[in-house]
Amino acid sequence: MMSTPPMLRSFLLGATIIAGMSCTVALAQVPPAEQPPGKDNATVPPTEPAPLADAFSAPSPNAPQGPGVNAANIPDGPPAEPSEATPMVEQVTANPAHDDWPGYGRDDRATRFSPLNQITPQNIGHLKRAFIYHTGSKPGPGQVNKWAAETTPIKVGDGLYMCSALNDMMRIDPATGKEIWHFHANEKYESIPYTAACKAVVYYTSSTVPEGEHCHHRILEATLDERLIEVDSEDGKVCEGFGWHGMVNLMKGMGESVPGFVAETAPPPIVNGAIITNQEILDGQRRWAPSGVIRGYDAETGRFLWAWDVNRPHEHGEPKEGEHYSRGTPNSWAAMIGDNALGLVYVPTGNSAADYYSAMRSPEENKVSSAVVAIDVKTGEPRWVFQTVHKDVWDYDIGSQPTLMDFTRPDGSTVPALIMPTKRGQTFVLDRRTGDPVLPVEERPAPSPGMVPDDTRAPTQPWSVGMPRLGFAPLKETDMWGMSPIDQLYCRLKYRRAHYVGEFTPPSIDKPWLEYPGYNGGSDWGSVAYDEKSGILIANWNNTPMYDQLVSRKKADKLGLMPVDDPNYKPGGGGAEGAGAMAETPYGIVVSPFWDEYTGMMCNRPPYGMITAIDMHTQKVLWQRPLGSARANGPFGLPTHLPLNIGTPNNGGPVITAGGLIFVAATTDNMIHAFDIHTGKEVWNDVLPGGGQATPMTYEYKGKQYVAIMAGGHHFMMTPVTDDLVVYALDNTN
Amino acid sequence: MSAFTVPQTAGGWATLGLAIIITLLGLPLVYMGAELAFLGGSWYYIIVGLAVTVAGILMAMGRVAGGMLYLAAVAFTWLWALWEVGFDGWGLLPRVFGPTLLAIGVLLSLPVLRRIQNARTLTVREIA
Repeated sequence: MMSTPPMLRSFLLGATIIAGMSCTVALAQVPPAEQPPGKDNATVPPTEPAPLADAFSAPSPNAPQGPGVNAANIPDGPPAEPSEATPMVEQVTANPAHDDWPGYGRDDRATRFSPLNQITPQNIGHLKRAFIYHTGSKPGPGQVNKWAAETTPIKVGDGLYMCSALNDMMRIDPATGKEIWHFHANEKYESIPYTAACKAVVYYTSSTVPEGEHCHHRILEATLDERLIEVDSEDGKVCEGFGWHGMVNLMKGMGESVPGFVAETAPPPIVNGAIITNQEILDGQRRWAPSGVIRGYDAETGRFLWAWDVNRPHEHGEPKEGEHYSRGTPNSWAAMIGDNALGLVYVPTGNSAADYYSAMRSPEENKVSSAVVAIDVKTGEPRWVFQTVHKDVWDYDIGSQPTLMDFTRPDGSTVPALIMPTKRGQTFVLDRRTGDPVLPVEERPAPSPGMVPDDTRAPTQPWSVGMPRLGFAPLKETDMWGMSPIDQLYCRLKYRRAHYVGEFTPPSIDKPWLEYPGYNGGSDWGSVAYDEKSGILIANWNNTPMYDQLVSRKKADKLGLMPVDDPNYKPGGGGAEGAGAMAETPYGIVVSPFWDEYTGMMCNRPPYGMITAIDMHTQKVLWQRPLGSARANGPFGLPTHLPLNIGTPNNGGPVITAGGLIFVAATTDNMIHAFDIHTGKEVWNDVLPGGGQATPMTYEYKGKQYVAIMAGGHHFMMTPVTDDLVVYALDNTN
Repeated sequence: MSAFTVPQTAGGWATLGLAIIITLLGLPLVYMGAELAFLGGSWYYIIVGLAVTVAGILMAMGRVAGGMLYLAAVAFTWLWALWEVGFDGWGLLPRVFGPTLLAIGVLLSLPVLRRIQNARTLTVREIA
């Protein structure tokens, strides 16, 4: 599910001198915690999960929400019936002005393509820093670093709008970085789920408030502490006509929770007047975690419109008093995308709660997990579903935002299509009207029934055979890597000690299993960029396997794995990206990178990150190359300062400009890179003050083209965290 | 008479140090390589691990044969690495880089080993 981000640093050589000796030293060490326990894993049969009176109820259905869960103490009011949205006027993202970047993916199709062409491969040597803006959000003294801003600013007219990692919103001057206004969300540290992130704000033009009046143009965000907030774009003051003093409480109807369990990090799309919300639920906590419900709210008033709740499929209203949305259902944390013409919102879903154990999921959940679900924005009724993994127990939830395109068939007819990149590296191209594949998808046999008693794996899995794969062949023992024969041997041993029969190796209890491409593999939340004119699709992706093992409840207790809402929970005692309690199931889960835990280097050979250009007319790879250098990575966490293009793990998407350039940061070398789109040659780069784990954007203001990147860093990628938005422009233009 | 002698020169000390390092690097290759072979993986590591460990011990005893054995192991390693990954830079790095560095050291130590060996032969002859 919300396994957003992941991945450690890479590694690398520098190795040389320490050639083998390091390892002898390392061997004397005690293995770091949170490694799969291996063969000595408990072989006692798992205890049955405690039977629940009502399988889809919360741990205690009538328990009030914990303190701080309704962050702004917004009064809830009675449960609302379904209703329809106030009609919408055309929004700026429908046909963006050429100099604007008005939405997260720039336009209504999330192309991440800008028609600006002032910066070109020829003059890019003159691209220099124009200004740095500080959002003011970074870890305070004594706070565990959970920061990764992941923010892409938007630019409309005279304003550059963005949110901070803790959901403050601000407007800044596009030419100077001077702050025009700053809205304080007053978010608490406790509300940070796995990561403090805010990917983008949303620009909305009202259909009921006339031009020139307060809140005609609004900035909307969804927050980590589950609020929708609308402010005026001119003064940053809340829109009183929206919700309760400009805010809507999204925890209404969610039942028992604690701060940080449920959060929003993606910008909610507005489709035909309906704000659509999804939410990230902390991974690996318990089977009956809060609901993955998808909801619609009126963009004008904040009024509740409908809910799509997987295990209450025909109830679209809010839950009655004392009830709540069905728990443990697949949560969606990726950025969604709307389709005003078809009246649909495309929801990339994640997995049911307790990702690695599927025996307790309902048939309804099994139909819609790790899928694209098209929901009618008038009624909340799903119109079609396309599943990318059947009965997912690998955390192959979808992190990417779909990109819309018009696909031309060989016979010349055009299909309104949707490109859905996945963590598997399989990119599906679907008909937006029906969800049918536009390019061939094959159901291929997968290992079944699996290794876990009473939890059978699906006999087949879908493969998008018509699109190039964003990934490599299955791992072999000879792919194991290291600095010396000794650490390479250690990785070969780890490989042989694990179960591995390819991408769909079923989870196992007796020994670890290799999860490859891994939950950070393929395309994650960075998503893809698409140039409709040339038909070139740009995707950057990861090649980072994981080493996982199911552990008995007894063992999980011994390891101290507890769900976040347990009174005895200690921060660091299991979380979204590492080991998880998976309470209320028979097993806990231990997840670690497939690495040499002594040197901190990945066990598989480089590259660990790639960037690929695909011609969508022919579905052929135009070029492909490793992305990211070894300069800031190395064994034992030491930077090598080597400009070797090893290809590092990367999180954050690419941007294409009409100037023939691709801008992408994302890598763990803390750099922003520019590539010539036609050759794949790196024509420019710059070292950022922090990790560039965000998608850049570009805009023009007063005749000058700018490129902006949030160098917010990423705690899990171990890149430096800053609050710096770095903005570039050519130094030879006026 | 002990097979090991206290080095008399800086070169002798360096050679002994190198021999100890090579022995220490060989042991984990044997230990983990045995498990790898047992689990159905490559046999290279246990074979070369044994060769390297023995080479290190012989070098510590001041035997030219130790150095020659290490060089042979590295030559074999090159052949094996090329067979396993071809001329792939990233693939060759862990397999041959460190061993080749050490092989240079061993080459440099050969004259020292030869001197120690000759000296001992001489001593033995004198005693005889």
